[in-house]
Amino acid sequence: MSRLSMGALLRRSLIHRRARSFSALIALTVSAAVVTALLTLYADLDSKLHHEFRTFGANIVVTASDSSKGLPSDAIGTVRTAAGADANAAEFGYAVATTDRGTPVVVAGTDFSAVRTLNSWWKVDAWPSTADPSAALLGQRAAQFVADEHNLQLTFGDRPITLHGTGRLHTGGDEDSRIYVPMQVFTTWTWAKPSVIEVQVPGGEARVESAISRLRQAMPEAKVQPVRQLVEGESRIVDKTHALMYGAVLLIALTVAVSVLATLSASVLERRRDFALMKALGGSHSTLMAMFLLEALILAVGGVVAGFVIGSAAAWTISQLDFHTATLPRLGVMPLVLLLNLLIAAFAALLPVRVLRRLEPAALLKGE
Amino acid sequence: MENPIDLETRPDCAVIALHSVTREYTGHAGTVRALDHASFSIVAGEWVAITGPSGSGKSTLVNLIGCLDRPTAGELRIDGEDVAKMSATELDRFRADKIGFIFQQFHLIPYLSALENIMLAQYFHSMTDEKEARAALERVGMGHRAEHLPSELSGGEQQRVCIARALINNPPILLADEPTGNLDAANQKIVAELLQDLHAHGHTIVMVTHDPEMAGLAQRKIALSHGKVFCHPVGGPVVSLRK
Ligand SMILES: Nc1ncnc2c1ncn2[C@@H]1O[C@H](COP(=O)(O)OP(=O)(O)OP(=O)(O)O)[C@@H](O)[C@H]1O
Ligand SMILES: [Mg+2]
Repeated sequence: MSRLSMGALLRRSLIHRRARSFSALIALTVSAAVVTALLTLYADLDSKLHHEFRTFGANIVVTASDSSKGLPSDAIGTVRTAAGADANAAEFGYAVATTDRGTPVVVAGTDFSAVRTLNSWWKVDAWPSTADPSAALLGQRAAQFVADEHNLQLTFGDRPITLHGTGRLHTGGDEDSRIYVPMQVFTTWTWAKPSVIEVQVPGGEARVESAISRLRQAMPEAKVQPVRQLVEGESRIVDKTHALMYGAVLLIALTVAVSVLATLSASVLERRRDFALMKALGGSHSTLMAMFLLEALILAVGGVVAGFVIGSAAAWTISQLDFHTATLPRLGVMPLVLLLNLLIAAFAALLPVRVLRRLEPAALLKGE
Repeated sequence: MENPIDLETRPDCAVIALHSVTREYTGHAGTVRALDHASFSIVAGEWVAITGPSGSGKSTLVNLIGCLDRPTAGELRIDGEDVAKMSATELDRFRADKIGFIFQQFHLIPYLSALENIMLAQYFHSMTDEKEARAALERVGMGHRAEHLPSELSGGEQQRVCIARALINNPPILLADEPTGNLDAANQKIVAELLQDLHAHGHTIVMVTHDPEMAGLAQRKIALSHGKVFCHPVGGPVVSLRK
């Protein structure tokens, strides 16, 4: 080494006391990882519930009171008339068929163009053309149960059918394990009728309520229910989870802060003589303070980098295992994680800074 | 106008001048007067030994001269400047410029090599210069151990590195508190020869020692007893000033 700089000094000091540096780094990494994982998962859940489900998708569902009979044949027309011109509606029929691998799978008949407008939040890589009567849309989990997506062999009762999948559907919900086919194909194949109509009425609660009462009047034989309540109930749970999560983050931050505080204090106390010597050699108060704080900063930022990677990987694994969806790393949570770690480091540095401020080289350098 | 410094002590060329300097330590158990109205001067190029029994105030005195501590009362001038008038930051700067420290416990930074320990003193003073740092190590006969860590050096070798560090910024005053206190006879001899060489080159040396042999090498002794100073005035012709 031909030059001695602040950077070289810090590197030497951190490496020399690697056990201490490492334990502080681990603590700061843990806090960053847990916070990253929580925030990433939460942001994912939050955006699904609050934004996607609420803004898009159905807010009224009409179901047949007797599901084996299905809805009356002109139900979709009646619903469209009763709900109003600006409402979107799509009908669904359900049946359980068997794939060529012998796996039972839910087949849903629907009108692709209506679904596409209604559920604009669905992630579909290629929508089937409405002109193609044998096109099917495979949920991403359902696709794993078939031998060949492009030569899709299904059997209902003793009636086989051959379709071809055009694309995959990905919602993170039940839809992922279904195979969607055109309603025309569905009814001629399974002889079942549509049993569910999902309706989206734009506007506030009042408009939805009045649409519901009009629908109930027009279709006394069907069940008409708001979807909104369900969603709002779920979002209330999310809001509670929200508070719980911040509580957990705070607790983790405090625990980590205390352990980092102990490490940093010890690292200053055991180096009091080194600092005293540097002062005797002409090092100013601010230089020594800068050296120590920079060391804490390096550990905090190192913890954020390592913790972000680990936390994002954890969020991805958890969402894979529990929700069968991939939660991708969100760079957006980084500033918050960084801020938290900096706060922890700043808190942990309070005591050592006091020790440094009161440093008396004369007393320290004198004797034993 | 009253002249604050005793004329007998040659204040005209004093590099260190104390006038009635008192240092008291106040703790929960009361006040200890470690230095009691000490007045004397040390001229440039002198080699002074400070002697006295344990607890007589030798380290207190050396810390005051080294600007690591400030007097409770009295006036202390180093190289003509009144230390009491300086701010803490100015004092840090002043210390780096004027004083080279040699400690009984060496106080080398454990994770820096011999060379880097010397460059550390350059770093806090101004700019690092590896060539100069190597030359300083050569001067104390430690050139071949430049890359070694303090833990890889013997006590005597560490003290030689410490002396090289004290010299590196060319300070007018070298302060040594028991420089041979932790060394055996052979290493004591090496350090003594180094100090003699430095003195011959015009450095001002203030050295605390318990060892009569070491004290005998100095030109003048300042004896302390219960915080009071007993010293001889500067005798003979003024020695050559430092280069
Ligand atoms: N920080 C302090 N607080 C209180 N008393 C102190 C402090 N430092 C030194 N003293 C007292 O001041 C007196 C002088 O101490 P000093 O360290 O200067 O002695 P010394 O001559 O260097 O002794 P030794 O030869 O043992 O090193 C002693 O009585 C000591 O107990
Ligand atoms: Mg002492």
